[in-house]
Amino acid sequence: MPRGRNIRSQRKLEAAQHERNESVGRRLAVLAFMIALVGVLFWAGVHNLRYRRALSEANHVKLIPASPAADDSAAPDIEGSNLRGKNAPAFTLTDVTGNKVSLADFKGHPVVVNFWATWCGPCKLEMPWFQEFSAKYKEQGLEVLGLSQDDGASRQDVADAAKKIGVTYPILMPDEAVAKKYGGVDYLPETFYVDRAGKIVEVTAGAPSKEQMEALIQKTIAAGGA
Amino acid sequence: MRRGVLAVVALTLPLIAAAQIQLGGVDRPTEAKKQHVELLTDSLQLTANKPQDVELRFRVQPGFHINSHKPKDELLVPTELRLNAGALRIANQQYPPGSHFRLPVGDGEDLDVYQGEFRVALRVEAPKGDSVLSGSLRYQACDNAACYPARILPVTVAVTAK
Repeated sequence: MPRGRNIRSQRKLEAAQHERNESVGRRLAVLAFMIALVGVLFWAGVHNLRYRRALSEANHVKLIPASPAADDSAAPDIEGSNLRGKNAPAFTLTDVTGNKVSLADFKGHPVVVNFWATWCGPCKLEMPWFQEFSAKYKEQGLEVLGLSQDDGASRQDVADAAKKIGVTYPILMPDEAVAKKYGGVDYLPETFYVDRAGKIVEVTAGAPSKEQMEALIQKTIAAGGA
Repeated sequence: MRRGVLAVVALTLPLIAAAQIQLGGVDRPTEAKKQHVELLTDSLQLTANKPQDVELRFRVQPGFHINSHKPKDELLVPTELRLNAGALRIANQQYPPGSHFRLPVGDGEDLDVYQGEFRVALRVEAPKGDSVLSGSLRYQACDNAACYPARILPVTVAVTAK
């Protein structure tokens, strides 16, 4: 065989070998990239699952079902539920007589912070229960504060409505900034049960049954030390 | 080589999109001002320059009720349709009577409400051609246990008069 032909053949073989090596390298690179991507997706899934579990535990909110027939998707997302276990946001508001009332005034007391409005039927139906329980658990130091969400209503209108409903505990006039601190309060009634140490024990959105309300009050009184 | 790169890109894009959904979804804010009433009427066909009775159809989301135009309690927010006439002549706006609903909380409360579909009747006169009937529906929705603040539903209906 001529020498020149051998050399050409040798070069061809080398080129083919080089190409095969390159091809294997590319495939390995693609494989490594795909493994990395699958790893990222797996990590994202685990992260998502952990986050949702944590959120679910933190959002231990008592949502009262709208009705047995109601669509579950109608249940509101209550941002205030994120406050459970945290210190109740401080506020100072004026009551219907113009006096300033602060949450801090009730330090050492279990306090029910109830957001309500004159146009809210369920609010008006549950408020007499708060009145009844504030008397029943007076010796345990229970205090109830009704925070009106009637934007634009006069003090007199709110006072008249409270009188008509039959409540005598402090009724405070609205302040959007306070509602915002409590998660926006876009769903009424919304109630925050605050223990003696100032921590939010429970959050409810919607009117509970009277029995549920009393159980929550008892839990709040028992929490945060005597 | 080029084929390999294209294959990687083609495979990667949906995976990246999926990862973004996974990571981004958890912090996605919920819709703050969800409507509980929808407008079912989107157009009206009329005879030009002739007063005609029409109805605007609305539907309340299942599981919710809104106060009727004349609720039983003065503190409750009535449902009210406000229309901008524009080129149209609007008269004789009539709301349907509400239906009885007893709020199932404690001793309950009797309410006069709209549930499901309800219709507001109008007498409309339109000039020849296309025009728009626009306005808003103010309502306040509740479910069996709680209420949302009053909301405004934009109303836009295309009117064609021949």
